[in-house]
Amino acid sequence: MSEQALLSLFSRILGELLGDPSIQLRKETTRADVPDWDSFNYVNFIVAVEMELGIRFSVADVESFETVGDIVTEARALLA
Amino acid sequence: MLFNSYEFIFAFLPIALAGFFLLGRVSRGLALGWIIAASIFFYAWWRPVNVLIIGPSILINYAIARSLVVLSVDKTRAQWARALLIVGIVFNVCFLGYFKYLNFLTTAVNDLTGTTFVLERIVLPLGISFITFQKIAFLIDVQARRVQSFSFRDYCLFVLFFPQLIAGPIVHFREMMPQFHQVTCRFNKDNLAVGLTLFLFGLFKKVVLADGVAEHVTPIFDQSSAGVAIPLIQSWIAAVGFTLQIYFDFSGYTDMALGLGRCFGVRLPLNFDSPLKASSIIDFWLRWHMTLTRFLTAYIYNPLVLALTRRRFAKGLPGVAGGKASLGAFLQLIAGPTLLTMFISGMWHGAGYLFVAWGVLHGIYLTINHAWRILVARLWTDKDRYERVMEPVGFVLTFLCVAVAMVLFRSRTAAGASELLQGMVGMNGVSLPSQIYDRIDSLTTLLEPLIDIAVGGSATELATAVIWIGALLVIAVAAPNSLQIMSRFEPALGFKVRPLSKLGRAVIWRPALQWALATAAIVVPAVMRLGGKAEFLYWQF
Repeated sequence: MSEQALLSLFSRILGELLGDPSIQLRKETTRADVPDWDSFNYVNFIVAVEMELGIRFSVADVESFETVGDIVTEARALLA
Repeated sequence: MLFNSYEFIFAFLPIALAGFFLLGRVSRGLALGWIIAASIFFYAWWRPVNVLIIGPSILINYAIARSLVVLSVDKTRAQWARALLIVGIVFNVCFLGYFKYLNFLTTAVNDLTGTTFVLERIVLPLGISFITFQKIAFLIDVQARRVQSFSFRDYCLFVLFFPQLIAGPIVHFREMMPQFHQVTCRFNKDNLAVGLTLFLFGLFKKVVLADGVAEHVTPIFDQSSAGVAIPLIQSWIAAVGFTLQIYFDFSGYTDMALGLGRCFGVRLPLNFDSPLKASSIIDFWLRWHMTLTRFLTAYIYNPLVLALTRRRFAKGLPGVAGGKASLGAFLQLIAGPTLLTMFISGMWHGAGYLFVAWGVLHGIYLTINHAWRILVARLWTDKDRYERVMEPVGFVLTFLCVAVAMVLFRSRTAAGASELLQGMVGMNGVSLPSQIYDRIDSLTTLLEPLIDIAVGGSATELATAVIWIGALLVIAVAAPNSLQIMSRFEPALGFKVRPLSKLGRAVIWRPALQWALATAAIVVPAVMRLGGKAEFLYWQF
């Protein structure tokens, strides 16, 4: 999956979770940039992404992702 | 060796620093080796045999970590790495368990089954809880490849660095090692001035403030443990006084640790951020013993919530989202993990029912706080007004909750704790010195039907205790903290400058004569009080 495809998929998932379809994630987006993206919604987002793509992130990665780009990179590595 | 002892301040520290700077002129390797040797000496001072206990554990952890590095590189051997990690964690937990919990376990078994097993008393090696947690975190980080390479010297520096060896802050390899790799090992007057000032602030907090208020607090806890009914005012003096004592003791210790690290050119992470100013219990835990909260959140709470969320999603059940949660989601994803984490925190602090009760009570506080946040988001939508009204309420409530829980933390027996808690709600009546009783007799006639009022105690003792507590309360709640005072010199890792009040801005430290005099003024009473046997409260853990 291309970076762009993952970014739009992530935007759709987060938009559904937060009830805001206008959310557009970019690689440099961080949690602080998106209103209401708290730690609970972060876990929900991660698990929703895992289910959608059929992958599983390691706990350490979930802890250390800083930007959406980090999640994209790791997701691509797991999909490869 | 205690930070607040003559031998540490006037012999060990000057020699350790001088050796470090002198050897630094020859080679960095020698200077860093010197810190390791000094740290072992520091650790061995109290009981040399401890080195023989902790030494092998350090070597075994090193061997496990090295094997993990090799296994984690190759993805096909990932399951071996995971298995070895589990072996490592089990080893450390058993190691801690043997020294810290075996006695407690025997007591618990005896209590439950009526047996009378007796174990020989096992002496707890100093700082074993801190050292063990740090090593577990290190193994997890190596397996997760957050640490990819390290030498034996790096590892020893990380595990043994004496400023934080015995009671934290609990550090990560990845935040310490880049600093050790860059440190010049040369005399640096800025680092030394900032470091020593922080150390002296901490010494003052410990020796003058914490040990000072302890004189009024300890006798009350001793009486309650001996089964004496403690009246209302004395119970509150004990609870609030001990809350302040442990704050100044532990944050004082931390300032000293941070200051010592800085003398060697190394910044340790932030551990206290004026926790008694917190306006909620969640906020309190983000500001009190922050490196422990960070450890528990990263290695217990978050993995648990992640695993449970995966299970719920796989069954098509909702998570907690946008301040909304079904009862099931709340219980499974918030209440359960919070209570379990705080139960472990209680156990970690000490092997005893009261420490467990203290941890669980904080778990209940936090769960209520989370539930409240979810409810408030629905019921009270005007956020600004909420903050204005609820911040002061939250502040008072948080302080009271922390103080009540501290009674459990400090009491040596359950009966003693219950005696004090009963006293705090007035069940043991009020005892007033005659000088006060006589002056307010109209008030006492009014109150007498509600609560038993007796005449007793010394007015001077009561007044001194109240003045001590009042003064410390003002410092803890209204004054800028020691790190804010040092804010111009980035005193800790992760230190963020908060907006300061006028007073705060007026007392920002800089290397100048007036600050040297002010520091000397607080150091004199501190040094005069040295030499006592008052250990840091957290050294027992």
